[in-house]
Amino acid sequence: MEKFSKKGAELKAENSIQATIRQFFIQTEGIFDAVMMPMRVPAQDSYAWIMVKNRDLLADSVPIAPIMPVNAAKAIKRFTRKGEAKLKVAVLIKPCEVRAAVELTKLNQINLDKVTIFSYDCPGALPMQDYIDDPAAGETKFQSILADNIWNSKEVKPTCQICDKFYLPAGDVHFAFDEGRVIAIANSDKGNDVLSQMNLKAEYSLDNWESSINEIKAKRLLAKEQTYSVVKGKVEGFDNLLDTFAACIGCHNCQSACPICYCRQCYFDSATAKPNSDVMMLRAEKRGGLTLPLDRIMFHVGRMAHMSLSCVSCGLCSDACPVNIPVAKIFSYVGSQTQQAFEYVAGDSLGDALPMKEYKTEELSELTALLNNTESPEGSDE
Amino acid sequence: MNKMISISGERNTIIRDIIEKLLKEDKISAVLSLRKLKNGTIDYGLTTKVEYLGIVEPFYPLMPVNAGQQLSSFTPLSKPIAAIVKPCEFRAFVEMVKREQGLMKNFLIFTYSCSGVYPIKANIDQSAESKLEEYQTAAANLTIPEGVRDACRSCEHIHPMEADIFVSIAGEKDNNLKLYLQTEQAETMLKGYEMTEGSFDDEKLNKLLDERKIAKEEIFAAVDTSESGLDGLIDIFGKCVGCHGCNSVCPICYCVLCDFDSFNYDYNRPILEKELEQKGALRLPPDTLFFHLGRLSHMSFSCVGCGMCSDVCPANIPVAAVFKRTGENTAAMFDFVAGRSVKEEIPVMIYKEEEFPELGE
Repeated sequence: MEKFSKKGAELKAENSIQATIRQFFIQTEGIFDAVMMPMRVPAQDSYAWIMVKNRDLLADSVPIAPIMPVNAAKAIKRFTRKGEAKLKVAVLIKPCEVRAAVELTKLNQINLDKVTIFSYDCPGALPMQDYIDDPAAGETKFQSILADNIWNSKEVKPTCQICDKFYLPAGDVHFAFDEGRVIAIANSDKGNDVLSQMNLKAEYSLDNWESSINEIKAKRLLAKEQTYSVVKGKVEGFDNLLDTFAACIGCHNCQSACPICYCRQCYFDSATAKPNSDVMMLRAEKRGGLTLPLDRIMFHVGRMAHMSLSCVSCGLCSDACPVNIPVAKIFSYVGSQTQQAFEYVAGDSLGDALPMKEYKTEELSELTALLNNTESPEGSDE
Repeated sequence: MNKMISISGERNTIIRDIIEKLLKEDKISAVLSLRKLKNGTIDYGLTTKVEYLGIVEPFYPLMPVNAGQQLSSFTPLSKPIAAIVKPCEFRAFVEMVKREQGLMKNFLIFTYSCSGVYPIKANIDQSAESKLEEYQTAAANLTIPEGVRDACRSCEHIHPMEADIFVSIAGEKDNNLKLYLQTEQAETMLKGYEMTEGSFDDEKLNKLLDERKIAKEEIFAAVDTSESGLDGLIDIFGKCVGCHGCNSVCPICYCVLCDFDSFNYDYNRPILEKELEQKGALRLPPDTLFFHLGRLSHMSFSCVGCGMCSDVCPANIPVAAVFKRTGENTAAMFDFVAGRSVKEEIPVMIYKEEEFPELGE
């Protein structure tokens, strides 16, 4: 799994992982003009992404926040999408946020010029509702997850519990946690430059870290399999879909919270998706009734078709759903299936072309076979 | 126009029977109402066939979406639809009609003295179902049912005068359902029923409204930022995640694309960098509070206090209380009440040569 460096550079330890990382960024003055990290909002009841220029302000930053109110890829998108970059910035974000940023870069919504991405071994984030209901309890809960190295916590979001991509995403520098130490791993040329500018030498062996990561990963993969098999039963088949999405009120919060759904106006919110009364009555009379708002299931199925290839399973859709539909688990499962069909993993690398943007003369031979209505496609005898 | 129909029996059945008659007489093409689906979920929907009327739940204490928003999605209909909606939903529709976003003549509107609805989360586990008895007792006794939306606890407008038919529910203890016909359309449509002279006595609701007044004071006080100003607003809206769910469920926010989601607010990087350099720090995505202030100025006049915005907020921000409080305060300056009458023009649409002279001083 190591891509650039077989060794990492140990950061000077402060009294906690949070403090060690914070101190690292305080010392990046001169290397970066600004740093984006989570900070608690003034009322102390949530977190927000703050791009900080004055290093003094970093004292209030919380590198590893207990919740993910906004996927950082969205914050980066808003900052970089338009116009030329002057300032060099660093962003410290979770692996799934890196993955979303990779997808958005490929979708031409993020410009990574002068942006250096830092990530860390992610313990997961608490569900937004749990935290908002009692922020103080959430803080305590999360602190113990961090302090005790709990990598199989049942308190974190369902998608975090089954995440096997919680380490070393395709960013520039990754912070690995090895028995309380923070080890910086350079993961790109940009990352190498930063570490050498900071006089950090890659002398720390990653063997121990790698074996513990692999252990956690194995457990997560098992949990994922179990979860997916439950979800499969909930969404496959039209009746199951109807039941699963029965309580959907059509607010489209899932879509607006989704880092991948970047359309300024979703098709399903557009005038095209709003039929006139004649059409509505026609549809109602055909079946004796019609649920309002229209096309609730179609919206979800449509969104699946539009974005599941790039779904990074960050779980924000579920956090935003006012009626507790397990949207994230469903999309994560569907995404895993569609991505598998194209041998694609969302957010893995900037180099992998988006499946829908790549033309291959030979692809999905089993579908061609169906189209040709033959037993097997021509020339696929091997 | 002061006619009344009194029918004895179970109230849901009475309403379903009336709808059945209207459908059979071909006076309406469908009914838009709350419905209980096979899996127990409550939705808003159209029912066109008489044999399906059993799923119609005219008075269920839930609001999965604001029906006013749905009513305004209809372009001209050749035959009216009967719509059974809650007072705040009717009032939202009135505001939409004034904005040319809906047609009153599309519908025969039934509304009723509503005791409030449970938060939408009660539609997931069907927990509203187990509270129905308790709810009905509270309604009959003119008290606030435990656990209804804050917006409902503080609602003071439950008798819309311009709805076609007003059904008296709150405070009714006997077996007679009283329907007050408030428009000519109602009289024509319900021809054949025995009608007597009579109009609804608003005094009847005083006990409930007094209780709500007290609740409202407490709810409004919690979001009063007149002393704390901008800091107070930041404290309330700081945890906003920017999903704009409040705007998408709002029956008044009818813009197909909200200005705050448009290119207008999609700043260039140099502009953001300049702001960052000036302020030393920058929250991303930008304009968190600005969005709410903008929405307040765009629609709070017409806010009917339905509470949908609070219900969908993933960060539990008391959006509805802030918007209703602000809306009522601004509307009061113009002696305007949102949703009271189609004839009542939206204050910002009226041009007066002399207005608020004190502002110029």
